[in-house]
Amino acid sequence: MEAPPVTVMPVTGGAINMMEYLLQGSVLDQALESLLHRLRGLCDNMEPETFTDHELVYLLKGQQGNPFILRARRSLSHPNAPWHLRYLGQPEVGDKSRHALVRNCVDVAASQSLPDFLNEMGFRMDHEFVASGHIFRKGAMKVVVSKVSRILVPGNTENTERMSLSYLVELSILAPAGQDTVSEDMRSFAEQLKPLIHLEKIDPSKQRH
Amino acid sequence: MTIEEESLYLCDGAETEVQTEDFRVVYILTMQQREEKQLEVAVESLISRVAHVKNALNIFIYKLENEYDRLTWPSVLDNFALLSGQLNTINKLLKNEKTPAFRSQVIIPLLLSPDRDEDLAKLTEQRVPVFSHEIVPDHLRTKPDPEVEEQEKQLSAEAGRIGQEVAQKQIQALNKLCSNILEKLNNPREDREAEASAVRQNKASFNPTDTSALVAAVAFGKGLSKCRPPGPVAPGHPGQGPMMSGGPTLQQVTIGGGSNQQAGMGGPVPPQQQGQTGKMPSSIKTNIKSASGSIHPYNR
Repeated sequence: MEAPPVTVMPVTGGAINMMEYLLQGSVLDQALESLLHRLRGLCDNMEPETFTDHELVYLLKGQQGNPFILRARRSLSHPNAPWHLRYLGQPEVGDKSRHALVRNCVDVAASQSLPDFLNEMGFRMDHEFVASGHIFRKGAMKVVVSKVSRILVPGNTENTERMSLSYLVELSILAPAGQDTVSEDMRSFAEQLKPLIHLEKIDPSKQRH
Repeated sequence: MTIEEESLYLCDGAETEVQTEDFRVVYILTMQQREEKQLEVAVESLISRVAHVKNALNIFIYKLENEYDRLTWPSVLDNFALLSGQLNTINKLLKNEKTPAFRSQVIIPLLLSPDRDEDLAKLTEQRVPVFSHEIVPDHLRTKPDPEVEEQEKQLSAEAGRIGQEVAQKQIQALNKLCSNILEKLNNPREDREAEASAVRQNKASFNPTDTSALVAAVAFGKGLSKCRPPGPVAPGHPGQGPMMSGGPTLQQVTIGGGSNQQAGMGGPVPPQQQGQTGKMPSSIKTNIKSASGSIHPYNR
């Protein structure tokens, strides 16, 4: 039985094509409190939400060079919640003036048997990490401040080690394709967080080298 | 004594002495009228400004009490800015040279009665319905509160105690500090920015190298231990592919089991679980292989 061809085109069909607009930055531990205070003031008034997630990244190597990547995420603080499977496409190389990183995004919920299912489909887990931190919302914008820890023993989420002394800050919006005005809102929000942190568009492919 | 000083001196009492020279009479009367008019005008504008501040405070308090869950920090800042602007205009009004010194005016209650006064109640929005002996000490007070008076007395006693030279030195130090701050504030912005960025370097709140490291980790696992099985999975040979992946996982199980026995750790559960999950896919795949399509893969 031939494996299905691996494609890197945006996944379409059946649902609205959602794009994720993303800006990333980081904050050192000692400035974390002031950042949280500022976010609590700027964002919607809600109870501060913390989260602890375990993310596994699965790769499917096709005949072509680029492997197909799927990200499976589960909550360690809510063990009975469904898993979250996400596909993120290549960043769109539109005009350089766009302020945020834009990529195609498909999200589905899955049951607890997701890792087994992916293994049987032929995906292999490439790496995993634990992210824990705070999440804030402002309208459609989502700000996630998380500390990323690597897992020392595969499968054991208790034994983790922090990657660096900084927290990762991500500002993201999920919007249907074609709405470029959201990047303006993101940029003005990012301005309000300066000079504490610099949220900028970081191209992951450039980070590889 | 100039003519103005003399006329003020003469007008200070309840009665004015009639002057023999007409010029002096006319001059004194016009001075009085002008001052009264100025006083009236100043008091009117002060009343209206204070009414503005009161309104702004009312609106703000209402907002804080009733809409606190929808209130955003920028709008709270706006309210504060409005209040501060209004207080500023009051200050400017009081400092205006056309405003007579209110300190030199005296308010004397002419008639106190325990009866309710409707006009007064309307004027003060039902806050002062009776102009009686109880409200006069509060509303017409000019001396500070007793505690404040105590503190002021202490401060002036201490100031008298420390002696002339020490006081002079303190005054000079304060003047120097104020002039330093004024200089810093008045200097052009570029100088300030250079200083501020130098100070900020020491307490930088983010590290760009950390940013790229974290983004790389989250985007494609740079720095995270890879757990890919050895050997590429070739989709062209699906039969051998799963077998190969089954092989390494079996090896992992034995290695895990071996290390458990050697180390004698109290936590053998995670490797065994992984071993079990590693085993299950391989056994399922071999089942499918041997049945070669006659058994539906999901009917296990």
